[in-house]
Amino acid sequence: MNILLLACLLLPLLGFLLIFLGDGSERKVARIVSWITRVKGVCVIGLLSMWAASGFKSFEYQWFQLYQHDDYQFPVLFYLDGVGAAYLFCVWAIFSIIVKYCRVYMHRDAGYQRFFQTIFAFAFGLNIIVLSGSIDILFAGWEVVGISSFLLIAFYRHRWQPVRNALRAYTIYRFCDVGLLMGAWMSHLLFHESQHFSQMGSLFNNYVNNPLNYAVLSLLSALIILAASGKSAQFPFCFWLPRAMEGPTPSSAIFYGALSIHLGVFLLLRTMPIWSFHFLPRLIVFAIGLLTVIIASLSEKTQSNIKGQVAYASIAQVGFMFIELALGLETLALLHFMSNAFLRCYQLLVSPSIVAHLLRVEGAVNSDFYIKDRQKLQYLPTSLRDVLPDVLQNTLYVFALQEGQLEILVRSILWDPLKRLGAAMGRVNAWVKWFTAVALLIWLLIAVNNISPVAEVYLSIPVSVLMVLVSTSAFSQKHSPFKIWNSVAMSSFLAALAVWLMVPNAIFDELMFLSGIVPSWLLGLWVLSRLLKNEHFAESSFRYRAFAQTRPGMSLLLFISFLGMVGFPITPAFLGEDLLLSHAAGRHPWFALGITIAFVVNGIALARMFLRLSMGRAVRAEVREFHVG
Amino acid sequence: MPIHKHTADAFELDAVIDQLAHWLPTQGPIKDFIHHNTLHAVQHFPFHDGVAVAAKVFGARSYLPIEDYQSRFREGRISQAAIDWAIAQSGCSEERAEQLRLELFAADPESHLPPISLANDGIRNAWLNHLELDMNALVHPVMFRLLSNFLDQGISRWVLPKDGESFWDCVLRLTLNSLIPLYPFHQAHVREMLNQGPEQVIMHCLRRIVGDEQLYAQYLLEVLLAHPGWSGMVRIIETNPRSLLVPRNISLKQLLAVELACELAFVDKKKGSHFLRIDQLPELAAIPLFDEAHLTPEVPLKMRVWHEAMEWSLHSELLLALGEQPVVGTVGPIPEVQAIFCIDDRECSLRRYLEEVNPAIETLGAPGFFGIDFLYQGLDDVYPVAQCPTVVKPRHLITESATRPRPERKDPRQELGKMHFSAHSLARGWVYTQTLGLVYAARLAWSVFKPAKKLPGIRTLSEVEAHGHLHLLRENDAPNAEGYLLGFSLSEMAEKVGGQLRSIGLVKNFAPLVMVVAHGSSSVNNPHFAAYDCGACAGKPGAPNARAFAWMANHGGVRAILREQGIDIPATTRFAAAMHNTSRDEMVYFDQSSLDKDSHAALQNFQHAVHKALQRNARERCRWFELGPQTPDNELAHKHVLERSASIFEPRPEYNHSNNLYCIVGRRSLTRHLFMDRRAFLQSYDPDIDQDGGILARVLSAAIPVCGGINLEYLFSRIDNSVYGAGTKLPHNVIGLLGVANGVEGDLRTGLPSQMIEVHEPARLLLVVEQRLDVVDRALAKLGHLLEWLENDWVRFAVCDPQSRVLNLYRKQGWQAIELEKDIAAPVSSRSEKIIVGQTKTIPVHRFIGGHS
Repeated sequence: MNILLLACLLLPLLGFLLIFLGDGSERKVARIVSWITRVKGVCVIGLLSMWAASGFKSFEYQWFQLYQHDDYQFPVLFYLDGVGAAYLFCVWAIFSIIVKYCRVYMHRDAGYQRFFQTIFAFAFGLNIIVLSGSIDILFAGWEVVGISSFLLIAFYRHRWQPVRNALRAYTIYRFCDVGLLMGAWMSHLLFHESQHFSQMGSLFNNYVNNPLNYAVLSLLSALIILAASGKSAQFPFCFWLPRAMEGPTPSSAIFYGALSIHLGVFLLLRTMPIWSFHFLPRLIVFAIGLLTVIIASLSEKTQSNIKGQVAYASIAQVGFMFIELALGLETLALLHFMSNAFLRCYQLLVSPSIVAHLLRVEGAVNSDFYIKDRQKLQYLPTSLRDVLPDVLQNTLYVFALQEGQLEILVRSILWDPLKRLGAAMGRVNAWVKWFTAVALLIWLLIAVNNISPVAEVYLSIPVSVLMVLVSTSAFSQKHSPFKIWNSVAMSSFLAALAVWLMVPNAIFDELMFLSGIVPSWLLGLWVLSRLLKNEHFAESSFRYRAFAQTRPGMSLLLFISFLGMVGFPITPAFLGEDLLLSHAAGRHPWFALGITIAFVVNGIALARMFLRLSMGRAVRAEVREFHVG
Repeated sequence: MPIHKHTADAFELDAVIDQLAHWLPTQGPIKDFIHHNTLHAVQHFPFHDGVAVAAKVFGARSYLPIEDYQSRFREGRISQAAIDWAIAQSGCSEERAEQLRLELFAADPESHLPPISLANDGIRNAWLNHLELDMNALVHPVMFRLLSNFLDQGISRWVLPKDGESFWDCVLRLTLNSLIPLYPFHQAHVREMLNQGPEQVIMHCLRRIVGDEQLYAQYLLEVLLAHPGWSGMVRIIETNPRSLLVPRNISLKQLLAVELACELAFVDKKKGSHFLRIDQLPELAAIPLFDEAHLTPEVPLKMRVWHEAMEWSLHSELLLALGEQPVVGTVGPIPEVQAIFCIDDRECSLRRYLEEVNPAIETLGAPGFFGIDFLYQGLDDVYPVAQCPTVVKPRHLITESATRPRPERKDPRQELGKMHFSAHSLARGWVYTQTLGLVYAARLAWSVFKPAKKLPGIRTLSEVEAHGHLHLLRENDAPNAEGYLLGFSLSEMAEKVGGQLRSIGLVKNFAPLVMVVAHGSSSVNNPHFAAYDCGACAGKPGAPNARAFAWMANHGGVRAILREQGIDIPATTRFAAAMHNTSRDEMVYFDQSSLDKDSHAALQNFQHAVHKALQRNARERCRWFELGPQTPDNELAHKHVLERSASIFEPRPEYNHSNNLYCIVGRRSLTRHLFMDRRAFLQSYDPDIDQDGGILARVLSAAIPVCGGINLEYLFSRIDNSVYGAGTKLPHNVIGLLGVANGVEGDLRTGLPSQMIEVHEPARLLLVVEQRLDVVDRALAKLGHLLEWLENDWVRFAVCDPQSRVLNLYRKQGWQAIELEKDIAAPVSSRSEKIIVGQTKTIPVHRFIGGHS
């Protein structure tokens, strides 16, 4: 069973590697894809039937201990129960159908190899999430899914619009990752070594002796709910989902119709013991579900494009699932998930048929297709038209048209303050910066010399404030990729410094963190200097520079260093990030907030820079032409 | 000439908008698909100049990458002789030519990239760069949402406009009379401005944004070209409201007013009320302007030479073979069956196979509306559609009525099998998804792993099955409410049928059975389905026209009138209609009950031959499908094309006009012994009965825009698929039944998707007419404005003498004798199957010898 579980998990990764290392010929890719899915099918069915044979008992498997230091443990832990099984099956079924579909659908597309690579990475991430045994592992999968979503939305990278929407989705993902990252840390804090999903239920059974207090638990619940609603496009993040439909139709179907959108539900199912324990988080989940249902079903009414309509219909159903979960109807929600996943997947796949359907099939009889039925030509349903005064009708329509104002709301609450802060940082003159640097040095000396035990605590405060400020200045920087790059690196160094000040004996963990960051930083610097050698970036900072088209190798290196810098699980920095958090925040919980803000903002700033540099369409630099006649 | 001139004249908004509209694409709502010259805006320039000017406006590529031409040369598909010819045509000096010969083979990875253009590097972009404002990303989503909801034809559940409301009024209503004002018009001063009416709003915004009146027109153009799809759509609806099923009141002026107000609102919001105007830009002098100085055509000579060499290589393959065709003397025996096909290049191979299978069949070609233009409303159609080329404005409406009572059908929305088309979201959706969603797991798996061979819901597609009777004969002369005449009078019918028969040269020697074969195409999951149907029927299946033609030609009264005019159709001759499904290679026969016993037997023979021919045709098509079976087994190949047309994951049900290259107007004897690889539009024409060129002029006036339009649309979509074409189909999203866009908030995509053009060789059409030069001259004199196509080389035009087979090429300066290399002859073969074996690219024209009939 262990082997089968690992096989289920690692086969997509193997597929990814084989495709990545292959020469990209379509036939080879197709052969790899079809074999991997078949073998995977055998494994999944084998695993599930063994699990069934064992009497549907929850099953946990610890592969190995990735890292152990003092009381800190990072076990690679997997877990299979009813929820996981349902998801595992759906993931495999939909994934196999989609890749089979794409074998022909993507035929001759320039990005054939790239597409399958990304979709395998996505499947790998999904499997990690579904089979994860602890929040840490789940978070690793979460990141993989986030990045592969980002890449698939920006699949058609020579157009600015997919690129922009990719960034938008990524921003929301990133923001909501805060929830999960802090959740992971808090679960370390709360449960110590017993952050296993398997033990979570029993943890609360004997609550009477449990020392956890309501406040902490509520906070943890709120963080988890934040992560879930971001991924599932629930209130107030509904708006990103329709806009993410930029990749090839099947990728939209699998991500935003079928699987990715239900991950929030999965997270809630997994962490049910934590958040359902208390009345307040349940109410929050219920309210989110309800608001989403209302807004999404109104927005759906005024979607004049077919994919947007399906997207909002799907969001509304996920809203229902949230409500079901809040009411404790887990099985119903699970069933609902499976049905919705298959239905929306199918709807998206056949969405191009809508023209023929409406014009030739539905219009053929005297149905509600309003060309025949002039009554329906009116706007808004009759019931509303008769009851509401004009001004309210218009209001309702505008509300629906603008999708519940959510995007405007989120932008003004979350991003505008950050931008303003960053812009203010950008205006700070060099003098102040030098002064700060000197002050920092002095602090450092004080700390190093252990003049006062208080120093280490209180000195870390300004350092971490500085870290956040540096991050925001990277966020609002538009003119120089170098400045962005260096600011992000700087922010990471400051994070390490702050932790070191607080916990001097964690030097090894910090080195691990930096061992991921520093090489990425240097690699990135080198790539940037090569790429921008003859460019005057600041003069036209708004152009997409299309390096992925003109210099694909460099662009790939830039992407890899970008992944390293944002703590993607390919370098030790990912683990280091987690360690830093647990060290520092273990003593000073306020620090967690700063480091996560920095973490999110850094990611967004870098993603934005990467898009400007790598995506877009190449244009002839100078015109060398010859006149005729 | 739609280029703006810098003059001291006052700025006149309406005149300027009319001028600018010429630059917008003219692709209508997606339910009709009409092929046209993508670059109609520059058709008054010679081809290369026009392409160069368009590139500077739209920021598009003008030619293939140079390495494509070079590799074609290495493969032998561009000949050295053609390069020499192309250099000679370019008229450059001797030393320049020497230098050019070297340049041609040098690597140049940038030569095909688009030049500095108004659309990408104009004043608007410079200004936005300066302000560091991502204006398109802010304004477009707002505008596209408003436009698509306003124009929507049936996707959204709540319609935006009230009855008859104009776009401007609608926006005004949502802005001024709503508790939540429309974003970004919520600022007080913007709302105040909106009260002044569209014209004042435009002028006010231009003053604030641009400043200099000289630049107004350019700014407006750049605003429109930032989303050419929507601008073009609005213009089409403005000028032809009938192109929509549910008419909408919108105009470019209203669009511009809303968009400029939106831009101003965003600038104000981000930059405050004092921002840099365009006329204050420091780099203004370096920015290309919308005037003659920037839009002087600059043609890169080496690309031009390569391109013409490629075209001439391909063209001379046909010319070589034509020159060797024997001259037929007397009329042969009367054939068993005559079959009139559409001029369409996809019928080229089917006709060849049909004649190979049964040499007693004679085929003819005519534009697929068979000279009968009308609006048609079938039994299952919601609305009447025009069944003729767009240049013709039909005046007659034909409806179909059921011959027998039909069973009452259920409302499809209530059918559970169709449930996925209505994306229920609330309570009903909850119930459905909870219960039925899982069924879709099975359905999905089934349709992906076991694609059906039959089309889903085919019974409701009116073109495939004729279940009714056409009302063709007009009972009274009163037009209906929309001003259409209901049916034709006998003399009108005789005029149309006679005209058609004369233009294809079928005025005597009628066979006992004359088939009129229309064509259409089936595909699923394909919003561009109309682009797969008959181009001469404005993107519809041609079945109604074929049925109408057969009915009219069978009518005693019509025949009597025709007899007076000298066309004597024997009483034993019957006409019958059929339709070829080009994606499935199937044939449907209509109205068989109208045939007598003798012609029924002939029909059976014909059906037998067609069955064989279709299978061979399917095999020939399969050689283009990389994932299809490359087998000599015709059955297998046919099975494959059936699957292809019915699977939801197949973006290429067929390759349509991908091969189009030639158009030949002449007798079948000129082309009957040629293998033309499905590349030729074949129009039948008898040079002997047309001494004054009148018939030729009529034939050309349909053939040039239809075939030339198809050819140029394929050409430009292939050359730059992301600017002139629709890009890849894969991410397309259907918007309001109007068109497709990338993603949810993209611009409408015009042109052809990459899946239609990827194997196309982008060469201009070579139109060859079999006629004497003096008659052709007379015909050209009657051609009117269409002569522009030939004079400016948008179509290559050659004439083949019916007696001597001497070839002449049309040039603006006069006829130019075509001299092909003496020692090269067209390749020969004995049958089609031998030629296509193992070939996956285009094949030169072959001559058939020996065994071939």
